[in-house]
Amino acid sequence: MDPILFFIGSITPYIAFFVLIFGLAYRVVRWLSIPIPFRFPVAPAPVTRLGVLKRMSLDLFVFRSLLKGNKKLWIGGYVFHVALAITLISHILNVYFHYIWDVVGYFWYEAVLYSGIFFLAALIFLFVRRIVLPNVRYISKISDYIILILLIAIVFLGVYMRSFGLIDISAVSTYMYSLLTFNPTAPPDNIYFLTHYILAQILFIYIPFSKVSHLIGWILSTTRNKRNITRWRRHVNPWDYPVKIMTWEEYYEKFKDELETIGPGGERK
Amino acid sequence: MKIDKSLPARKYKLYATWKRDMETLELPFPREWSHKEFNLPPDWKKIALKKMEEVVNKYRSVKLFLDICVKCGACTDKCPFFLGTLDPNNMPVARQDLFRSVYKKYFTLTGKIFGALVGAEELTEEMVELWYTYFYQCSQCRRCSVFCPYGIDTAEIMIAAREVLTAIGLSPRSLTEAIAKCETIGNHMGIPPAALLSAIQFAEEEIKEETGIEIKVPINKKGAEILYVPPSADFFGGPHWGTLKGVIKMFHQIGLDYTISTYASEGGNFGTWLGYEHMKKINKKLVEEARRLGVKWILGGECGHMWRVIHAFMDTMNGPLDFLEEPVSPITGTKFKHAASTKMVHICEFTADLIKHGKLKLDPSKNDQYIVTYHDSCNPARVMGLIEEPRYILKNVCRNYVELDPNVNREKTICCCAGGGLLADETIELRLKAVRPKIEAIKRTGANFLACICAIDKAAFTEYSDHFKLNITVGGVHELVGNALVFD
Ligand code: SF4
Ligand code: SF4
Repeated sequence: MDPILFFIGSITPYIAFFVLIFGLAYRVVRWLSIPIPFRFPVAPAPVTRLGVLKRMSLDLFVFRSLLKGNKKLWIGGYVFHVALAITLISHILNVYFHYIWDVVGYFWYEAVLYSGIFFLAALIFLFVRRIVLPNVRYISKISDYIILILLIAIVFLGVYMRSFGLIDISAVSTYMYSLLTFNPTAPPDNIYFLTHYILAQILFIYIPFSKVSHLIGWILSTTRNKRNITRWRRHVNPWDYPVKIMTWEEYYEKFKDELETIGPGGERK
Repeated sequence: MKIDKSLPARKYKLYATWKRDMETLELPFPREWSHKEFNLPPDWKKIALKKMEEVVNKYRSVKLFLDICVKCGACTDKCPFFLGTLDPNNMPVARQDLFRSVYKKYFTLTGKIFGALVGAEELTEEMVELWYTYFYQCSQCRRCSVFCPYGIDTAEIMIAAREVLTAIGLSPRSLTEAIAKCETIGNHMGIPPAALLSAIQFAEEEIKEETGIEIKVPINKKGAEILYVPPSADFFGGPHWGTLKGVIKMFHQIGLDYTISTYASEGGNFGTWLGYEHMKKINKKLVEEARRLGVKWILGGECGHMWRVIHAFMDTMNGPLDFLEEPVSPITGTKFKHAASTKMVHICEFTADLIKHGKLKLDPSKNDQYIVTYHDSCNPARVMGLIEEPRYILKNVCRNYVELDPNVNREKTICCCAGGGLLADETIELRLKAVRPKIEAIKRTGANFLACICAIDKAAFTEYSDHFKLNITVGGVHELVGNALVFD
């Protein structure tokens, strides 16, 4: 096997996958290892767990908070994420389970192309928005553009090779299967596919180290996943420590004369 | 959305803490300094980074929020301080970025390797200057969090960030002066016991003149059933005065067995905005006083950030409050189950319950001279979710009630822009700019009475109404309750 093909077909995919999974797991463990000193949801917040589930689900499936705040961005962001989800699902079904095409029909085989097109459109919208709007440009770092360019490149190559029939999916599928069984064969020697593939691996590696980790992090957002029951059930802060204050006795000594004008012992009944 | 890259808000800085207050409060590096000349301690950078490491490992939300912001920009135009100044550093995400960039530089792998590429930046004296400026241009109102897809709360990041500033000896006088008074005299206003007594006597006399009824307010009374804790501003007069009188009258009408305390005469808690330690200290006084007096439970007055602490932090910091009883209204028998653990009830919850049970003798026509509108303060609305109760009360005590524009109302409220330590003369220009959308909304209603349940609101809006020539009276919900009470 060509050594380069071997490297990007049999070595790096495992590394990329490993980094993605363990990187994200590490991130989550790190977050979870930090205490939550207060129960401090942003109100109005639900008081039941079911209510929290509803609130979180609406944020996940409808992007409700974003919808409240910015309709245009909502459309861009929503199309982006739905297209992403469909693309991911169809990738898995196509490349890993192509033998069930006969069962599920060719829907997913076709779906990926169209979701890819929407995906691309949304990405370009987000990219242009980032450059054109002065407020968004101000908060954008180079890495914010790079991640979009990376995604655009990946999606563009995917859409391109599929629309012009430049790739044989069953060859890709055979290769992916070999990866899955830890007995990797050579990947299809197709420049479009290989570039698409390498960029996707880079993306995988980048995810845990970047803001893309929001894909898991949002679940831990304490302003959203906590119930508004703080006066009802005590929340414990593990690093709480005692403080010293001026006691009543000290206070009384200090203001004795004044307090006695209020009444004996400072009391007025 | 336009921005003004010349950073016009950079000139607004809170004045420096006095050396003597730094000493009283045992803050780090007591020294002479000013908002222009920081006089940082020699190893400030090391201290700041150490503190930063500490806070990101102490507050899960802070680290999480620093990590997952996607720079989508949804929050950018939600902050009143940005809308008013167009200063890009006042966009919530940019405000966070001042902190995030340094966090990235020193505490993340990508930041260490790629630096500015991922937005990582050195901690320099200039950065500290930006921190002190913009971290104290956030009222911690949490409006940005409502619209952020992940609920990223700039307020929580600011709580942590201000702890870092305090650690290197930077804190504003607008907070520390009041905190020092609270911890040494008993309240933010620095009202000693005798003056507090005179204020109450004065209120009693006024009530007698107005209604003919004679009231004697219990003070420091041991064994009372309920300890009532208002913000100390209520004893001070001005737009707060009517609230104090309203509450006293109401308690008289229902024959409540209560007391106020001179030692715990402050419900408010400016420590909230400085850091954990002083927030806990100020709050602890309340708890200890309830213990000493042997009351059953505590009733809290009209104050915004006070309720941030009571609702979200009190039980955690100074609980468990087992020595108190689960609050039950002695008049209606209602159990305030939602306060079963903290044992502290909001005066609006209490009053709404009284009205619901028909226990108040009210004549809403007595407020007919007013067209009333209600301003949601940020803390009751976005920390407690106390949105309906004040409205319910208002609709029962006056006949002309109008709502504000839904875009700046309820959980979307634009705050008074004076919380978070910003209620200081030196920020008035900034605040007037920031609060403008709210003022416009108030104008559009045609109201001539702005009801609020926060002492800072009352102070700030009175100031603003003079400036904008609003011709509006600012007062508490319980001022209107007091007006409507009928005695026979
Ligand atoms: S908490 Fe309020 S003041 Fe602070 S950044 Fe958010 S919107 Fe602005
Ligand atoms: S809305 Fe939230 S995720 Fe978007 S830029 Fe603001 S803080 Fe970041």
